[in-house]
Amino acid sequence: MSSPSCFKRCLAIFASDLSYHSKRPLVAVWAFVMILTAWGLSSGTMQIASGDQTVGGTRAYITSEFAVSMQLTILTLLFHGFFVSVLAGMAIIQDEDWKLTELLLATPLRPWEYVWGKFAAVLATALGVLGIQLVAMMILYHLIPVAQTAEIRGVFSVWNYVKPAIVFAAPTMVFLAGLALGVGAWSRRPVMVFLLPVAIVLFVTTFLWQWSPSWLDPALERLLEAVDPAGYRWLNERFLKVDRGVAFYNTAAVPFDAWETVNRVMFVLLGLGCAGLAARGVSARVRGRAGAAWFRRKGRVSILVEDRDTHPIEPLQSLGMAVKRPGFWRGAWTVAHGELLELRSSAGLYLFIPLLFIQTISVALLDVGFLDTPFLVTSTRFAVRSLIPLSLCLAMLFVFYAADTIDRERTTRLASFASAYPIRTSSILLGKLAGLCVIATVVVLAVALGGVIAMFVQGRITPNLGIFALYWGVILVPTVLVWIAFLFAVHGLAQSRYAVYAAGTAVLLFTGYRLLTGQINWVGNWPMWDAVSASDISVFELDRIAVVLSRVGVLGLAIFLGRVAVQAYRRREIDAARLLGRTNARGVLLELLRLLPWAAAPIVAAGWLGWLVHSGREGGVAKKSDKDYWRRNVATFTDARTPDLVHVELNLALFPQRSGYQSRGTYELVNHDEKPFRQVLLTGGRHWRRLSWTLDGKDVVPGNRAGLYVFTPPGGTLKPGERMVIGFRHEGEFPAGIGESAARAREFILPSSVVITGFEPTIAPVLGFREDIGIDDENRSEAREYPDDFHEGRTDTFLGARYPFTTRITIEGPADFTLNSVGIKRSDTVVNERRTVVWESDHPVELWNVIAGRYVVDRKERTAIYHDKRHSYNIPEMHASLEAALKYYSEWFYPYPWRELKLSEFPNLASYAQGFPTNITFSEGIGFLTRSTPEIHAPFEITAHEAAHQWWGNIISPARGPGGAFLNEGISHFSTILLVEQVHGLAARIDFCKRLEASYAQARRADSERSLAKVQGERPDDTTTIYDKGGWVCWMLLNHLGRERMLLGIHEYFKRYHANPDHPTVHDLLAVLRGHASDPAAFDAFTHQWFYVVAVPEYRLSDAKKSQTGTRFVVTARIQNVKTGAMPVEIAVVRGERFDAKGMANPAYQEARTTVTLGAGETKDLRVECSFEPERIVVDPDAKVLQLERKAAQLKF
Amino acid sequence: MLSIRDLVKVYPGSTTALAGVSLDVSEGVFGLLGPNGAGKTTLMRVLAGVLEATSGTAELDGVSIVDHPERIRERTGYLPQDFGFLPHLSGERMLRYLLRLKGVRSPQGEKELCRALLDRVHLEDAAKRKVKTYSGGMRQRLGIAQAVAGDPRLIIVDEPTAGLDPEERLRFYRLLSELAQDRIVILSTHIVEDVAVLCPRFVVIRQGRLVADTSPSEARRALEGAIHEGAVDALEFNRFVADPSRRVTQAYLVEGRNRVRIYQTTGDLPPGFRTVAPTLEDAYMILIKTGSLPGSSRAGEGATP
Repeated sequence: MSSPSCFKRCLAIFASDLSYHSKRPLVAVWAFVMILTAWGLSSGTMQIASGDQTVGGTRAYITSEFAVSMQLTILTLLFHGFFVSVLAGMAIIQDEDWKLTELLLATPLRPWEYVWGKFAAVLATALGVLGIQLVAMMILYHLIPVAQTAEIRGVFSVWNYVKPAIVFAAPTMVFLAGLALGVGAWSRRPVMVFLLPVAIVLFVTTFLWQWSPSWLDPALERLLEAVDPAGYRWLNERFLKVDRGVAFYNTAAVPFDAWETVNRVMFVLLGLGCAGLAARGVSARVRGRAGAAWFRRKGRVSILVEDRDTHPIEPLQSLGMAVKRPGFWRGAWTVAHGELLELRSSAGLYLFIPLLFIQTISVALLDVGFLDTPFLVTSTRFAVRSLIPLSLCLAMLFVFYAADTIDRERTTRLASFASAYPIRTSSILLGKLAGLCVIATVVVLAVALGGVIAMFVQGRITPNLGIFALYWGVILVPTVLVWIAFLFAVHGLAQSRYAVYAAGTAVLLFTGYRLLTGQINWVGNWPMWDAVSASDISVFELDRIAVVLSRVGVLGLAIFLGRVAVQAYRRREIDAARLLGRTNARGVLLELLRLLPWAAAPIVAAGWLGWLVHSGREGGVAKKSDKDYWRRNVATFTDARTPDLVHVELNLALFPQRSGYQSRGTYELVNHDEKPFRQVLLTGGRHWRRLSWTLDGKDVVPGNRAGLYVFTPPGGTLKPGERMVIGFRHEGEFPAGIGESAARAREFILPSSVVITGFEPTIAPVLGFREDIGIDDENRSEAREYPDDFHEGRTDTFLGARYPFTTRITIEGPADFTLNSVGIKRSDTVVNERRTVVWESDHPVELWNVIAGRYVVDRKERTAIYHDKRHSYNIPEMHASLEAALKYYSEWFYPYPWRELKLSEFPNLASYAQGFPTNITFSEGIGFLTRSTPEIHAPFEITAHEAAHQWWGNIISPARGPGGAFLNEGISHFSTILLVEQVHGLAARIDFCKRLEASYAQARRADSERSLAKVQGERPDDTTTIYDKGGWVCWMLLNHLGRERMLLGIHEYFKRYHANPDHPTVHDLLAVLRGHASDPAAFDAFTHQWFYVVAVPEYRLSDAKKSQTGTRFVVTARIQNVKTGAMPVEIAVVRGERFDAKGMANPAYQEARTTVTLGAGETKDLRVECSFEPERIVVDPDAKVLQLERKAAQLKF
Repeated sequence: MLSIRDLVKVYPGSTTALAGVSLDVSEGVFGLLGPNGAGKTTLMRVLAGVLEATSGTAELDGVSIVDHPERIRERTGYLPQDFGFLPHLSGERMLRYLLRLKGVRSPQGEKELCRALLDRVHLEDAAKRKVKTYSGGMRQRLGIAQAVAGDPRLIIVDEPTAGLDPEERLRFYRLLSELAQDRIVILSTHIVEDVAVLCPRFVVIRQGRLVADTSPSEARRALEGAIHEGAVDALEFNRFVADPSRRVTQAYLVEGRNRVRIYQTTGDLPPGFRTVAPTLEDAYMILIKTGSLPGSSRAGEGATP
């Protein structure tokens, strides 16, 4: 017999391994996961952010080459990367565990044949799964697509799938497989193999794909692209980040450049190189050079000399053994101990725990809130923010480990005899559950440690572990218990670990789907995902009964499922014939009846909770009531005019401990119109009890149209100029009932604090018919389209009343409460532990609110900040901002008409800030718990923005309709830009502008973006247009007009429109400013470009050269505007850094500038002379022109 | 007393593993001998309470094993044919874990008891090593240690000597003999020597039925004068074995020549053959091939006392 050739031997290894891999459950799970992912993606969950269906135009396809490339780059690293690493890394280790390596290598098989055969088998398996994924994508995207996603499917082209697979997915797989094989062969430690993909995924996803500051050097950018094994950074930075328009993504092929081609080839070679190193490693070990110590260690095992002494042995009876059935707890403890001893050897845990640890630290530190400002990590915020990742990761972990644990006796064949042991089945299961709970505890402790480290890193807050224990104890413990019990029960009933995988995955997917689609409620939200808010002030106050019932129900369910698991756990193999005999209707019924008492607690809790949800503030009863309101009134009263408020008199008694209130007051109304009113409409609250009304002081019963109260004025009509007074009195509790799915509310009366606004009929009626009440998916209509000339004539207010009115608000509450409202405080008295405060408007207002809580106050001459005593971190910075805003906005825009400006904190049960006149309210997550750094003055910026609403929103409320939101929010951002520069200097202003610009560049959608004069706020990218672009454009307008002219124009605008019932539009603002322009034609060109159409430049520098003539240097370069718009832009040649770390000007910095104006697509040659040797060319060094891809608009010599 | 009546076990697919086994077993080592697939392991598993029988009864001292297996678990020690351990635990930790699960106590404490048991099975030197590094024989010995732990009333050992070297096998025989003083020990095996050495009484099971219930000496006595041994030429061997007038009970090589033992009660002996003393192996082979021994009852009948 002749020995086979080396190729045949290699092929034999390949075939044998491929056959083995193809039957492995791991590979089946892998393929299943990829098919599931393809199914998930088919609904458009991972789409290029371009285009929008609300525009009616084309959306970005999920089937284009770009989209598939994006999906594959991400999925290959996240999913394939993990599986392929495990498969390749364990290939050699597993053979050694099975003692196969030495056996195989004792044959003519050479180490390199062995390793390359294994490597090829892993790659073939991986490519097979990739193929399955691609086929699944093609089928699910094209053949059986989700019905609602027709607009995100393009024409089918196999190449759209195959090319990205070849170019992106396959090289990544080769690299990771080779690397893992090398690590496995050299380290021979499974932990290293498991940690490898985690480390790569963490590095790549948290840093390589994320870190892209605007100041990043292009060379460094190229380097970062080069080291990305997935190729996503290149794709994202070059093509996806700056929206190129939906047509481009849908039709263009990914234009690979030499750089990316080298990247892909390099990673293939690296993978092959690592596989070669693995072969060398095995070869060296076989020859005994490397790894000799390991073999010696292994050898010790096999050559142990067993000492066979023949010393006399005492009879067995002398041991005095006796058996007593282990008690329930003792048995459980024993099993738990054994489980832990096994679990600690489980390599997967070393994967998940560091992953969670690092993820939680990074999530905590990267958590951003309002205006993209980073959060201060507090114990409460960290505990609550960690709940979803923790419970999700634990749930996923236990899908595998619960199956492993419950199946351990069978897989290890310990059950062969241990099933005959006297220990109770319930003890076995409890012990297994306890073992898993210990794992959960370790995971939770690792996460807690991550949180503590994050808090120490930021250095502002002392961790409070009690808060962790409270939130995680209340929410996480029942969740973990019910999940394990569920998985145990599934295993018991199905007797299959695959059933556990399938049921576990299905339940998680279903719960996640229900949550994401807004269909979940308290009853179905067993893990309480996204159900509570992080608040230091209000801890489990809102909807406490829902939390309690949810947890009781879940614990009850855990016990019930535990009982089912015990019942179904098989220590004895069931006889099929006997089982059939037992399975009759009576037997099954008896079995169910036996289980019924165990099911009582979850059934009662779920039923009770369901009833509370149904009758709660967002439940079926409330929805029906709202719908009735809409149905009965929409046809009659849409756009119905109302008289205007002249004065609001309100007496409010608050009983926060029981969320109660008593309210009475009057609305004095006047007819400012030219026509008489025959009816006056007031919208009341559903929760109002013992309601009574008066009209001009006399009792009256108005018409009640499902909560819309219709009053007939005295004498039948309210003639122009006539007044009437409507009085009301009622009481109740608010919030009325629990929410549908989460403890969140924008307004509330709770033991810790009270937030009430005049926007909602909470304690006082709202004037007129509310078109937004009772709107749901059934009756929701498209956003109103306004005609182009909507600004002609009188336009109604965006928010609040048409005419300013006066207020006198008397609030009574607990003595330890501070009770704030609009205006100035007239009196503050305490009688019988009850405080009474009277607030009067010292200047008319268009909005009012009430906020109360247990505050400490930081007071200055005209400003005050009321806050929770624990939240004093940012008070100096916020107060500096508030004072500066009051001073400078008064100077720049219009004198502040009220005497003082207050800012009060409320619990984070809703995350918003609102600038009511004199009485700004901030959720605790906004400003108070914002992280301030030397570079980013986040609390200052947020406060400056909200303070600006005193002017932009209160002194003038813009008109409802297109551009209205911009006049509120965009100009408040502009005000912030001015204030940041005024207080913190040029460097801070440039940095702030760049952040706004980066936010705009990333969030805009080129195809759906609307002009500032048209933007209304209902499209996904409107927010960035309104805020970021709006602020920037006003800033550019200021530079265009000149600061003085701009501020004069704004001053005139305030004079003209303050207290004017004709609320201003963008056209009105620009008309006023145009009067101050030195060159109206240039002004028109500017405003056309930035307000009436969508244009934004993107500059590219090229061919930069510098030459020296004597002592002077000449720089030449070419600049092109590759996008749209035409703006004069400065180009600077510079030497040194402009600012130091503190933002102060660097005296060593030198620069020379020139200015060019480039239209869309235009190119110009630059020539700049300077007396120093320049280091860089920078376009727009002062951040005065909004542009895309600013970091590409600079070059280094 | 262990009492089995009409025990039937049918696996799905109508495979009858036990076809009505009835048996009474009292203290001492009781052998269950049979070829692979005869139903030995099924019977052992039913008696250990890890497999539900299709019908019939089995009682240990009046307690039904079939209906209430949990009631006899404290009194049972079981060493199955195929078993394993938690691979990452050391031998000592593993045994301690099993002792706790079983509820075994001893005046000298768990640790000492564990050490003593490991000593009994000669694993004291390997106590600290992980079980996954144990050889097959060492695992078998650890299995024996857990089976005998707790002084059980009924010890069921299924193919216990598989994988043991001769010395360990001898030690195990001694251990079982010691245990059998006042307990019921059921030894299932296809190794006749085990039964010959240990069992004063044994049954032979074939295709789910008991074909003999006897003692080694009885079985040998039944073949007295009917077993003959001689040498057969290699070229003649196949023809010799195929001759229906005689039954070959054993055939083996001695110095390269075929030595053959035959069972023959009538007619002339083949040339060179002489009558020898019968062994238990001869009896077993006759029972397996014919279902009975001369002078004893036939299959199924003789098994019922």
